Amino acid sequence: MRKWIGATAAMGMLALGGLAGPAAQAAEPSAPKVIRVGATQAMDSMNPFLAVRLVSSSIHRWMYGYLAVPDSKTLQPSPDLAESWTTSPDGLTWTFKIRSAKWSDGQPITAADAAWTFNKMITDDGAKTANGPAVENFASVTANGQDLTVKLKTPQASMLDNPVPIMPKHAWEKVGDIARYEANEYPAVTSGPYIAVEHKKDQYVKLKANPDYWRGAPKIDELQVIFYDNPAAAIVGLKKGDIDLIGRLAPPDFEALKGDENIVQWNTEGRRATYLQVNHGATTSDNKPIGDGHPALKDPKVRQALHYAIDKQKLVDQVQNGLAKPADGSIVPPMYKDFFWQAEGEKKVSFDVAKANKILDDAGYKKGADGIRTMPDGSRKLQFRFSIHTDAPIEEKLAEYLTGWFKELGITLTTKRLDSSKFTEETGTTALFDIAISGWSVNPDPEEVLATHLCSRRPTASGEGGGTESFYCDPQYEALYQQQLKELDRPKRADIIKKMEERLYTDAPVIALYYPNNLEGYRKDRIAKVTSIPEDKGMLYGGSGYWPFYTLEAVSKDGAAAEDDGSNTGVIVGIVAGVLILIGAGYFLTRRRKTVADDRE
Amino acid sequence: MSITWTRRRLAFGRFWASFRTQRAGVIGLAILLLAVLLAVIAPLFIDAGVTNVVSGTGEKLSPPSWDDPLGTDESGRSVLLMIWWGSRTSLLIGFLAALLSMVIGTVLGIAAGHFRGWIGAIVMRITDWFLVLPSLVTALVLAAILGGSTVTIIAAIGVTSWPSTARLIRAQTLAVEARPYIERSQALGGGHWHITTRHVLPNVAPLLLASTTLEVASAIVTESTLAFLGVSANKTSWGTMLRGSYDWGAATSGAWWYILVPGLCIVIVVMAFTLCGRALENVLNPRLRKAV
Amino acid sequence: MTISTPPAADAIAEEPARRGLLRYAVAKVGGALLSIAMVIVATFFAFRLLPGDPVRALAQGRNMTPEQLDLERRRLGLDKSLLEQFVQFVNQTVHFDLGTSYEYKRPVLDLIGERIGATLLLTGTALVMAVSLGIWQGARAGWKPGSRFDKFSTGVSLVLWSVPTFWLGLLLLMVFAAGIGPIPGIFPTRGIESVDAPDGFGYVLDVAKHMVLPCLTMVAVVYAQYLLVMRSSVLDEVGQDYVTTARAKGLKDDEIRRRHAVPNALLPTVTLVFMRIGFVVGGAVTVEAIFSWPGLGQLFYEAIRVPDFTLMQGTFLLITVSVILMNTLADVIYHVLDPRVRSA
Repeated sequence: MRKWIGATAAMGMLALGGLAGPAAQAAEPSAPKVIRVGATQAMDSMNPFLAVRLVSSSIHRWMYGYLAVPDSKTLQPSPDLAESWTTSPDGLTWTFKIRSAKWSDGQPITAADAAWTFNKMITDDGAKTANGPAVENFASVTANGQDLTVKLKTPQASMLDNPVPIMPKHAWEKVGDIARYEANEYPAVTSGPYIAVEHKKDQYVKLKANPDYWRGAPKIDELQVIFYDNPAAAIVGLKKGDIDLIGRLAPPDFEALKGDENIVQWNTEGRRATYLQVNHGATTSDNKPIGDGHPALKDPKVRQALHYAIDKQKLVDQVQNGLAKPADGSIVPPMYKDFFWQAEGEKKVSFDVAKANKILDDAGYKKGADGIRTMPDGSRKLQFRFSIHTDAPIEEKLAEYLTGWFKELGITLTTKRLDSSKFTEETGTTALFDIAISGWSVNPDPEEVLATHLCSRRPTASGEGGGTESFYCDPQYEALYQQQLKELDRPKRADIIKKMEERLYTDAPVIALYYPNNLEGYRKDRIAKVTSIPEDKGMLYGGSGYWPFYTLEAVSKDGAAAEDDGSNTGVIVGIVAGVLILIGAGYFLTRRRKTVADDRE
Repeated sequence: MSITWTRRRLAFGRFWASFRTQRAGVIGLAILLLAVLLAVIAPLFIDAGVTNVVSGTGEKLSPPSWDDPLGTDESGRSVLLMIWWGSRTSLLIGFLAALLSMVIGTVLGIAAGHFRGWIGAIVMRITDWFLVLPSLVTALVLAAILGGSTVTIIAAIGVTSWPSTARLIRAQTLAVEARPYIERSQALGGGHWHITTRHVLPNVAPLLLASTTLEVASAIVTESTLAFLGVSANKTSWGTMLRGSYDWGAATSGAWWYILVPGLCIVIVVMAFTLCGRALENVLNPRLRKAV
Repeated sequence: MTISTPPAADAIAEEPARRGLLRYAVAKVGGALLSIAMVIVATFFAFRLLPGDPVRALAQGRNMTPEQLDLERRRLGLDKSLLEQFVQFVNQTVHFDLGTSYEYKRPVLDLIGERIGATLLLTGTALVMAVSLGIWQGARAGWKPGSRFDKFSTGVSLVLWSVPTFWLGLLLLMVFAAGIGPIPGIFPTRGIESVDAPDGFGYVLDVAKHMVLPCLTMVAVVYAQYLLVMRSSVLDEVGQDYVTTARAKGLKDDEIRRRHAVPNALLPTVTLVFMRIGFVVGGAVTVEAIFSWPGLGQLFYEAIRVPDFTLMQGTFLLITVSVILMNTLADVIYHVLDPRVRSA
């Protein structure tokens, strides 16, 4: 037993004595230029067919080429691995010319790689996990040398926004079961600006610059993505210089960066819209009613009144610390200038409780003795449920404000908290809700988000989900959607899309609240230059495409000096702690020895 | 009856005299009585409105001042008032979870001690099984499955914390039933119910009190941990306040009052329950009495 | 889990001592197997209590066609009767197949395997340190109850015991990793190792540096229980006849303590260490979440946040079963070591 205690003491010494050693920082003159990016989410999979988390798709965007990427200035699709493309007059056949470039292992990139990638997804359900819907409309994909031909089932204007990374056929066709493949083989075979060289689960991913990248090698040598579980620790990490850049910050964390002279607070328009989903009489895809939505919400006037009763500016100030834009539009945020529609004049709904009350009075919803309105036929009081997620502080706060405002209308709102799976089920399939919080991060091409309000997205009669965001089914909206699909002329298509947004705004199956800003921060003593996307006040980490990370430039003197300081303090404190422990342990051990001596007597 | 009463009063007098010598215990008792009193009278002064964000009038995350002696949170609500109102949830969950755990523990403990044969064996098997389950992990799983509400949180904590009480009560039951008067009572025709409620229960009750007091302490800590991990009753409690301070970046914005105050409240109240419970144990368990 | 002084010694002493070791071990192992069976059964039914359609819960609102849902349902065996499902579940579990995580799309067992090392390192080190600290302070405190040392060490441990683990972790992080005022933030904010950790001994030092804060957090919160049990066991020994005899023989006080009282008092404490190992594992969940420690606790926390029920179920099963096995091992070892049992 004594030995055991002695060993324990020794172990403790070892553990604490570890402080005494500085984490060896080889600060040679030609130190590699390394930029470290923090993320508050860990990689779910290195296999792009499976990965669904945002951090994973970002990293994959830095590693692999796509058919097209959003242009860094206009966000319009521009050539990536596809140099050029043509469309047949009926819009059903697309022919891409694949760039003559090389994979990072030296093999040539051909159309066969792209064809293999898409065909794999079409034929193998396991490969559909991440981006399945992107190939749903593909009838066939064939390759001939550098020419890739994609035949579609129906015309699709968003074809160039295809989110599927092109994978190297020669390296991936050997994989047996793609659904179980981890892709933990390094260095990875890539075609983008970076090559993954190491991934430690839940810890970090290391990417080396691809020297043979067809646009030219990136200006830094290494890009590291470091995962944090704890956002507060990530902020501390940025302030200390453990990481150089972090994106997707919550407003309070962003504000915590204020006052640090080495940190640039990067606050720009975001790609997300936050809105309310109103159960306006949910139906299934065969038009049968489903769920238990409040009948009053079927009346567009009631939905309109609710819209008037929301002080969006106040929500922005209170819930988002002012770091958002009140929504005077619909589900497409203003950062997409081409597609953004804003309500003006008559149509614009602005905070006006009196007007909201008048709308309800005129429509026959009378207030009872308790101040709560009832249906015109007196059958039911206007008591709505508001569904939010558990563990979502922003939604919690939002719910409390809405409750306060609706009370002034004579409407009771009670908050219902659901975990994410239950939430999705009740607000997306079974329609067991009145009003629910919702939101969507919109891609440069808004087709995906527009499609979430189509009739066909409603659940089937047997209750299978179709991915609706509103249970909306409106002939006018449907017609506009079909029209924009076929319209390959961008400005004309944008006009149609704006009409769709207007329809959503006035009919109010969803009520947009605000567009949260994209909040990021980076150290200017480490990062000399970074180009946002779009270049004019755009996003860094949160943006689509690889521009910001391809154009990263490190401060040449490297951060070694700052780190040395830290280690020196560490050494001193470590030595002191170590000495104290040694004294303690020594005392302990000498007394023990004495006992042994006593034993021998 | 009067004899019983006199005897009990005397016993209580002896107990109190002995408890009073436990200085830490008395301090603990005073603190927890104060905490309970404050929680009970809170509705006379404030209502749930103090936890409502719309009514938050102060500056966001402003440091302690005359208007808000303990500063404000991310919505400009007074931390002091929220602590006061939140104490009701924290203490309620603490007490009810401990009560639940005590009831389960007592029933099963006495059953295991009283019915020796296979019933006792089975009950002990179950108790031992629950005893080794990692309680926090189990409570998290239960709360995640049942969904967050005051009742499920109480159930999750109560269901995972009773086994130590059961073991304690079983040992005590065995000791009590070894006494000769139990045999006499059995001979006189006293049934299981009579023996367990009239003889065993009164004898184990004092120790039960001590163990329940300690149980409240750990239930309050568990509640705050569950709240921190995202499983909460959706009402303002000290645990949810700490979660709020974490969610709203109080640490990185330097809002120390928002982090320290709820945490210190937990520490103080838990400490008070612990001191009180240990003092009770010292008084009631002669084996430990010499321990001061 | 309360801090009450557990009657560990009583509980053990009740075991009939005269049984042979083998018989004892067989009985204990049998009991453990029964416990594990109960865990498997309870897990199956608890996770079938989940409200709603598990397939849709698994899908987490991702777009799935009816065909995909059917496929998934068949894959999970949900089209079969409850009994068949149960048989299948048991069969898979005993063959160490814990299912596939929806979030990671990989076998739960693989995910656990990748992370268990980090957790064992953290909890193991913390446990060893907490136990050493608790035994050392508890022995001294129990030997001279009421002394300044007793009051001080017991008091400090009780205060730390009352602190919620996550809160202490956050405070330590903010003070010693971020740095406040004159205190430099010398410790890392996350993880088990630096991204550019050196090889060899440098790597060990790097990991040690990362371990300091998480380890400190865990030790601070759990060591009180070992201290208190050790204290009360030593206290028991102080009243024993042999101590009086030894004193009468003129042996030095310190020597009696170290040669007789402490070894005798140690066994119940060591047993308690194993009995409460589940508590330490629970603490790992919060500590790992705060310090981004890539272990099982973090995996479990993630499973709860998503929620990924297969992953939650698998992690829960594994943690519970290992705790049961540890306890059984401790029981048997105790039986081998306890001088009272041996001599009988």
